[in-house]
Amino acid sequence: MEINVISNLMTGFVAAGTLQNLGFAMLGCLIGTLIGVLPGIGPIPALAMLLPITFGLEPLSSLIMMAGIYYGAQYGGSTTSILINMPGESSSVVTCLDGYQMAQKGRAGAALAVAALGSFFAGTVGTIFIAGFGPPLASFAQQFNSPDYFALMVLGLVTAVILAQGSVLKAVTIILVGLLFGLVGTDVNSGATRYTFGISALWDGIDFLPLVIGMFGIVEVIRNLEMDTLDRKPISTNLRDMWPTREEWRAAAPAALRGTALGSLLGILPGGGAVLSAFAAYTLEKKVAKDPSRFGKGAIEGVAGPEAANNAGAQTSFIPLLTLGLPSNPIMAIMMGAMMIQGIQPGAAVMTSNPDLFWGLVASMWIGNLMLVILNLPLIGMWVKLLQVPYRLLYPAILMFCVIGVYSSNSEPSQILLMVFFSAFGYLLMRFGCEPAPMVLGFILGPLMEENLRRSLVLSRGDPMIFLQRPISATLLALTAFVVLLIALPGFKKAREEAFRE
Amino acid sequence: MLRVRSPQDLGAGAVFILIGLVGLYMGWDLTYGSARNMGPGFFPIWLSWLIIAMGVVCLFRAVTLDGPPVQALNYRVVFFVFAGALLFGYLIEHIGLFFALILMTLVATQARKDTKIKEVAILSVVMAFLAVIVFVYVLKQSMPAWWGR
Repeated sequence: MEINVISNLMTGFVAAGTLQNLGFAMLGCLIGTLIGVLPGIGPIPALAMLLPITFGLEPLSSLIMMAGIYYGAQYGGSTTSILINMPGESSSVVTCLDGYQMAQKGRAGAALAVAALGSFFAGTVGTIFIAGFGPPLASFAQQFNSPDYFALMVLGLVTAVILAQGSVLKAVTIILVGLLFGLVGTDVNSGATRYTFGISALWDGIDFLPLVIGMFGIVEVIRNLEMDTLDRKPISTNLRDMWPTREEWRAAAPAALRGTALGSLLGILPGGGAVLSAFAAYTLEKKVAKDPSRFGKGAIEGVAGPEAANNAGAQTSFIPLLTLGLPSNPIMAIMMGAMMIQGIQPGAAVMTSNPDLFWGLVASMWIGNLMLVILNLPLIGMWVKLLQVPYRLLYPAILMFCVIGVYSSNSEPSQILLMVFFSAFGYLLMRFGCEPAPMVLGFILGPLMEENLRRSLVLSRGDPMIFLQRPISATLLALTAFVVLLIALPGFKKAREEAFRE
Repeated sequence: MLRVRSPQDLGAGAVFILIGLVGLYMGWDLTYGSARNMGPGFFPIWLSWLIIAMGVVCLFRAVTLDGPPVQALNYRVVFFVFAGALLFGYLIEHIGLFFALILMTLVATQARKDTKIKEVAILSVVMAFLAVIVFVYVLKQSMPAWWGR
């Protein structure tokens, strides 16, 4: 088994280590960091905007680049959290709490270094995790039948609800709306066209790009433009003392270890991922600390733990996608969209039918993490400069990326119309207190859920009890019920609200 | 007497119910089938009913729980950003990427009152030029670069 892991990883490093793929990994990390340090753009809009650039590449190169963009954007988000208290995305919200406080005390350099090294360590462990757990999980997944898949999707969607900001009720409904949107187009079973409103552009379903770019890219620009002042306060931290002191090391190292372990585990869960991991790690650090009152005032553990955890979670959340073919969070939904555009159906079959692709992607994750450390520690001064580019010069460029990306996907002007429709929809939802991110998850899972439900009910001749009779699906549904119960409990509700307020 | 206490919930509920109703109305003609043999209408009809039910709960909350107000829509920003994007979609086939991007930027930047027209003009030309180089020549995406097809 160990030998297998090593030989598999070797395959991966050979596939990912070509000059071309290393180049794309580097490019992805660079562009991702570049976009990530721009405030207000997290990994979701970054991936959505940049997805079209990777179309022309070979499948492996394009996935490597997308993965690089993801880590880069996430990493860039931590940098802005620490330096200007502006999280680019929700998984680095917790980094703001202590990271920015450290920066205020002149320890920005130490915070950045700890975040970088903690993330790298977590990324390494996460990669080994995928290499070790991927194959057994994939073979376990072969026992999965339609009812089990259906139950797993229900569990994943319900868990995703907890992580959405705002009301649970609205998050649930948004997912349902996403599922419905996912069904638009020609039904593969009957050939009937559904919800196309007589528009031929919708016969193949709603295209992924106009939806994600409209709902995340454009809406983000609109939201930023609505603010009174576009330009940010200048950064007043010095970066001279880059290296953490010995006491800081001693506090940060165990925190990074705990964060890595927690993140690796939580990343695998359906509905889990970087955000959940970061929040959980912060809570954990606060719990184990001798003096919890230091948190929020520049405790280095509060940076090291969550940063390690969100990176570990980001890595291991690839596991459900690569072994079961199910995305566990909106970011993985976009990665899945990218794979399908390349003609790859994610799932256990990829590992056997296309080992170079699978192991190459896994190996590239580690390469990407290494590159991030190399890029970030010395180049931090450059990113700081970039932070000072005024938004009024940036948003025209972002808009250009958005429209070119949508148009280039199939050179249809009608796609732009669709993009505008979804931006308007996303904007309206935000105004009504709905977080639109879970919708992508529903959108991607819609057809899969319908198909698995249909097959399950064919198997059981219409008896819904089949979901409770099969051990795997019954277990998954029991877990779902448990999660629902948790959400309903008043104590948990309060804790969740507190977590989001922080 | 019903009083709206949570306007955001009211809006969300209304949007959800509308989506659900459209889902029902448009899905009505699809074959429903049966649980044993699901037709193309089965899943969407169920989803639509669920969405409507959730929407009704939202409306109920709107009159029972206090919630934050709906922030006013910023028509200026929305109008100019959308107008710029739509203009791009309409014009690209006719005048090519370079000019369509410049026009889009000029329109979209009107979203802010404090836009400096000279700066934007220079910026849009430079960026449109770079975009043509990157997307048409480096990434070799098929779109008219300098003028229509």
